Amino acid sequence: MDFFQSGRMVLESTSRLMINLPVYSCYNANRMTDAILVEKLSKTYQVPEREGGFGAAVGGFFHRKYTDVNAVQQVSFTIQPGEMVGFLGPNGAGKTTTLKMLSGLLHPTGGRAHVLGFTPWDRKREYLQTMTLVMGQRSRLSWDIPAADSFLLNQAIYRISDADYQRTLKELDDLLELSPILRKPVRNLSLGERMKCELAAGLLHRPKVLFLDEPTIGLDITAQARIRTFLEAYNRHTGATILLTSHYMADVTALCERVIIIHHGQLKYDGGLTDLSRRVAPFKLIAVTLGDPCPCDLSAYGTLLPGGDEDGKQLIQVSARDVAAITARMLAELPIHDLTIEDPPIEDVIEQAFQG
Amino acid sequence: MLQIYRRLWQVNWAEQWQYRANLLMYLLYWLVSPVVYLAVWITVANSQGSVNGLTANDFVTYYLTLLIVVQLTSDITIHLLASKIQDGTLSGDLLRPIHPILTNILVNNIAFKALTFIGLIPVWLVLCALFHPNYSSVTGSSLLLAIPAILLGFSIGFLLGATLTCLAFWTTRVYAIGEFYTALVILFSGQFVPLQLMPPTIQRLAEFLPFQMFCYVPIEIILNQMPPEVMLRNYAVGVVWLVISMFLFKWVWREGVKRFSAVGA
Repeated sequence: MDFFQSGRMVLESTSRLMINLPVYSCYNANRMTDAILVEKLSKTYQVPEREGGFGAAVGGFFHRKYTDVNAVQQVSFTIQPGEMVGFLGPNGAGKTTTLKMLSGLLHPTGGRAHVLGFTPWDRKREYLQTMTLVMGQRSRLSWDIPAADSFLLNQAIYRISDADYQRTLKELDDLLELSPILRKPVRNLSLGERMKCELAAGLLHRPKVLFLDEPTIGLDITAQARIRTFLEAYNRHTGATILLTSHYMADVTALCERVIIIHHGQLKYDGGLTDLSRRVAPFKLIAVTLGDPCPCDLSAYGTLLPGGDEDGKQLIQVSARDVAAITARMLAELPIHDLTIEDPPIEDVIEQAFQG
Repeated sequence: MLQIYRRLWQVNWAEQWQYRANLLMYLLYWLVSPVVYLAVWITVANSQGSVNGLTANDFVTYYLTLLIVVQLTSDITIHLLASKIQDGTLSGDLLRPIHPILTNILVNNIAFKALTFIGLIPVWLVLCALFHPNYSSVTGSSLLLAIPAILLGFSIGFLLGATLTCLAFWTTRVYAIGEFYTALVILFSGQFVPLQLMPPTIQRLAEFLPFQMFCYVPIEIILNQMPPEVMLRNYAVGVVWLVISMFLFKWVWREGVKRFSAVGA
């Protein structure tokens, strides 16, 4: 199927994209053969450690002390074929370490993983042939030559037939608008252009599993949106399984119904994005603007959040259960000019999940 | 597989042309060192007629041939690979379903060689015009016989160089080890002085080491100076070292990648 063609249609109509979003959702459906199975996966690094100063430097030469850093601890999850899952956590949570283990770059210190039936760190040719890891600016492209040349090299390495190659390239070009940049040396490209080429280079062989580590990092809003749309189309039409990390919540909310959150190497949450706020942060925000300046004490209704804008709008955090009653009380008791009820921003919800 | 090498060649060849200033530096380096060696030895040989039986023309032909042979047998793997191991960019290569060293690094070496060879030709011609070598001893068959020696020399050098570079998986001081290795090569390969001028102990040792395949053996074959039985023995030693270096590389690479994936890239 010509997935990129339909992808372009999606691109032309963002609203359609949003409506069409939930396609492959089976994390709670009956078990099919898992695309990714992770069981009690752990990774402990030994990191040399020494005090500052000359004496310690000399001492460290003869007797080196190591500390264990538990980057990933007993993490388990499964992902079904075609699922697109957001993998979240603050810096140093163990996201990249997990992705590296799943793509065969790292040996775990414990547990097991199967991706498409392969043990990733066996690094079988057949496995490498069918997956991709795209990491920020860590390159599949040669710096000094145009991306088009690197693409041709990938064609040979992944044994892509001329017909398939031409077709895929054409489709990638249509979606990511590559033609103007393909002939320039990669070192002369902007960050966004390079990321587009990097993604394309990682997808030429049409991998069935994609590990994406910050695929939109450093990109402007338009480029981010374009890459999101592209990934959505790719997932929908190839049925590829995608696990992605991102610092941009917009990436996650637009692409993933399901999120896995890890913190300090441990799994904190695995489930639907909508359930997340209900379970982790069951509260709502009431934004209220008072008609007349009054000495009313808003903190009597809930937790008054710092900030508010120059129009006098103030935010009160209340439990989701009580929101109706509190709103009614406020409308009755206060000189309200404007009142809205909002969901807390997803960033805050996830922040709360990290701490939980 | 052939297609992979063809594409690798295109990419690496294109890449090499980006480093023009680099090439110019190499040309200057090549021009300087043989001129110095030759100036010294010709003076010595002329003052006493010959040195250990080597005439001034023997030195001229030796060093001018050396310039080409070294260029063909040397490898730059440590410069290509060590930094990739140390800063973790090797990860990108490990994601591909091909062996990064036996494909990309090998072809990169050859592309570098091809380009610098083009640059070397004018330098070589200038040196010939300066020193007037008499190449009457060289024949078609001596050139043909030297080809396997040059290939063997490059193969051994490449594999040993790659093995050495793989030490970067364990230590960040691989360049220091590299310097030591280069010193060994210079001493035992005949790159500094023709081996027959070395102390007998060094000569004996050199016969059992792989390094003379990098310079001395091919040069002597080209110049028709090596008796057939010596040539045969040197080829045999070379083949043994090829096998040894293959095993060494295979083992170090396997263990190295294991370690790379243990400590994190």
